[in-house]
Amino acid sequence: MWAYIVRRILATIPVMAVVALFVFSLLYIAPGDPAAVIAGDQASPEDVERIRASLGLDRPYLVRFGEWVWRILHGDLGTSIFTNLPVATMIAQRIEPTLSLMTVTILFAVSVAVPLGVVAAWKQGTIIDRLVMAFAVLGFSVPVFVVGYLLAYSFALELDWLPVQGYTPFSHGFWPWLENLILPALALGTVYIALIARITRASMLEVLNQDYIRTARAKGAGQGSILFLHALKNAAVPIATVVGIGIALLIGGAVVTESVFAIPGLGRLTVDAILRRDYPVIQGVVLLFSFVYVLVNLAIDLLYTLFDPRIRY
Amino acid sequence: MQRRALLALGAAAALPAPAIAQPASNRVLKFVPQANLTSVDPIWTTATVTRNHGYLVYDCLYGLDDQFRPHPQMAEGTLFDDGGKIATITLRPGLFFHDGEPVRATDVVASLNRWMARSPIGQKLRSYTEELEALDDRRLRFRLNKPFPLLLHALGSVATPTPFIMPERIARTDPFQQIRETVGSGPFRFVQSEFNSGSLAVYVRNERYVPNPNAGPVSLTAGPKVVHFDRLEWHIIQDTATSTAALMQGEIDWFEQPTPENQLLLRRNRNVVVELMTPFMSLGIMRFNFLHPPFDNPAMRRALLPAIQQSDFMIAAQGPDPANWRDGVGIFTPGSPLASDAGLEPLRGPRSIERARQLMREAGYTNQLIRILGPTDILNPAALTQVTIDLFRRLGANIDPVLTDWGTVVQRRASREPLERGGWSITCTTFAGFEVMDPAGHFPLRGNGRNAWFGWPDIPRLEELRDAWFDAPDLPTQQALAREMQIVAMHELPFIPLGAVASITALRRNLTGRVPGFAQFWNIRRA
Repeated sequence: MWAYIVRRILATIPVMAVVALFVFSLLYIAPGDPAAVIAGDQASPEDVERIRASLGLDRPYLVRFGEWVWRILHGDLGTSIFTNLPVATMIAQRIEPTLSLMTVTILFAVSVAVPLGVVAAWKQGTIIDRLVMAFAVLGFSVPVFVVGYLLAYSFALELDWLPVQGYTPFSHGFWPWLENLILPALALGTVYIALIARITRASMLEVLNQDYIRTARAKGAGQGSILFLHALKNAAVPIATVVGIGIALLIGGAVVTESVFAIPGLGRLTVDAILRRDYPVIQGVVLLFSFVYVLVNLAIDLLYTLFDPRIRY
Repeated sequence: MQRRALLALGAAAALPAPAIAQPASNRVLKFVPQANLTSVDPIWTTATVTRNHGYLVYDCLYGLDDQFRPHPQMAEGTLFDDGGKIATITLRPGLFFHDGEPVRATDVVASLNRWMARSPIGQKLRSYTEELEALDDRRLRFRLNKPFPLLLHALGSVATPTPFIMPERIARTDPFQQIRETVGSGPFRFVQSEFNSGSLAVYVRNERYVPNPNAGPVSLTAGPKVVHFDRLEWHIIQDTATSTAALMQGEIDWFEQPTPENQLLLRRNRNVVVELMTPFMSLGIMRFNFLHPPFDNPAMRRALLPAIQQSDFMIAAQGPDPANWRDGVGIFTPGSPLASDAGLEPLRGPRSIERARQLMREAGYTNQLIRILGPTDILNPAALTQVTIDLFRRLGANIDPVLTDWGTVVQRRASREPLERGGWSITCTTFAGFEVMDPAGHFPLRGNGRNAWFGWPDIPRLEELRDAWFDAPDLPTQQALAREMQIVAMHELPFIPLGAVASITALRRNLTGRVPGFAQFWNIRRA
């Protein structure tokens, strides 16, 4: 097992190298010019050229790529073209809100979706099953920003229960922190509830038809015990996979949610950097996301061994 | 008690050591700027939001009132000698930077040198300057090769970049490199430790700042800068609907630039005031590329005039309420001293697509490709571009609309290549009223060919008139020259003016004393 973990972690190195090459090359060939954005609408072409030269953007591809890789190998993600701040500092400023949003969303989504999926499977074909599936279809169909605006309108503007926007760090207290995350997590979680509930239902239906479930019933096991102890544990592998995929997808969903609720997270940082062509920031954030993606996949693979001891690495 | 407050209390009771959010202090002002504060160097970037940041942290030698008359701010006064060729500026006593160091004339000289390298009017001033030196700690002297009547006006210019005064050690930074410290002598101190670009910028009142009692009336950037808040927070909220909701709920105090559809919502809220940010509207323009067919042909440019209905562009940008825009405007900011009706006849009278089509044919247009370049992510330029595309469709032209994000637009419009190699024919944008109210910073009005602003018009007469304007001794002479510039511009058409859009702002009703112009944070107070 440990050898496997070490192997997988080492395998991230070539993955990250390929990601780095792709990110740098894509940004190099993509249209847009940060010097022109910095110089502003009124700048003369000469000013733009001088800024481009001062940023080193007029140098050849290989020189720029080599310098970037060299810096990364020394643990330096570079400096933002626009803010003049280290990219690592900018990421550090933004990581807590995004992590908080993702954590609350996943906890919320899993705690709602798994019971929903289990109940839908248990009550297959009934009105409860249909309602759960209808919600799942709706959750998939309605864009996150629409759900976000509806929630903000209802719970912030009309009912005045929760704030419209913003983020309060955890260090300022649990309730202020949670208060700002409830609506964004609800908005972002809707899609994941739908996704996880559907997979849970399908997976449970398969398990509930197995012989050992019939045996458990015959031995007098209670319904709750059958559903949550016998069936759910055996249905957990696909559910864990979907939760893992969901965490990766959350990175994309967080971009929209962070915009709607003005949460200063990594999603907004990425979008802002892309719109401005702040290359060092884009490269740094994409590298980080790729690394997280690889780690999440590793964690899910390891979780399989908990749910199904037959799986060995 | 509101339910939200009740919920907070409930949670407080349930938790061992909660940190309950306190209600916003009356001494804190929460503001949502028009854009993210990405750079804090107001010389390096021309971003308006950075200029506004600059007015908090830095001070200028002079301020301008709403009639654009200079009044001293950091300066005690200026003495002119040798027929205006020597200007000696004395600093008022008691000026200190935020790091505690006194403001010296050497700081001012270094700051002005950096500014003159980047600012259009600064560059002009530099071309008149034989020597700029510090005479002692409080006096500096311009020695000019000929009088520069606009000297004090330039030193108080609100156009970007603005002549802010920084410590010498910072002002010695290459003007094409960003400064690394934010130290000024203005009414607020920037709190670097709390700065999170894209989220929050914090300023605290500069206790050592002494408002200038001789700075004239409180108007635009003139007048004593009296601060009534201890702390100012700029909350960067990209989504305008979210900012609107936050203002309605009182989570923020001031939303700098609500979109027209959000203005409708805000006007219905009795706790919010929606008003003109500035009497000086932004100018919309349709810019031609003079380097390539078909708009290298002046007859082709002029052929469009009978089809231009400025109100069409303005309604698309700002909605049908005429309070939010003006049509019938020329090349200078409407309402500013140089604005006039001279030469605007082709934009008046009945509009005719047919007539324009006929003129295009007479100009030799034979269905050549016209590439219209415009953004999709900036409200006003995007709307102007859409109307332009529609106009050319109605004219039956062969068009290639290129609609993309602003970052790509600013790169592609810099291309001087012909269309088949990625060039462009037309692009639309807006200029802030302060930028185009006179020829000094009016980039699209330049006619200096390949050195001109994107589109590169070569109109020597415009350059001659601009030079004459800088030397004009008084306002009537300047106005006469501006009228002539407009006549020339409307004939040669470096651009077509598309109307003027108002800048609307929204703030909580309990805020009073806002200084009209742009987002400034002195004089404003909570009632």
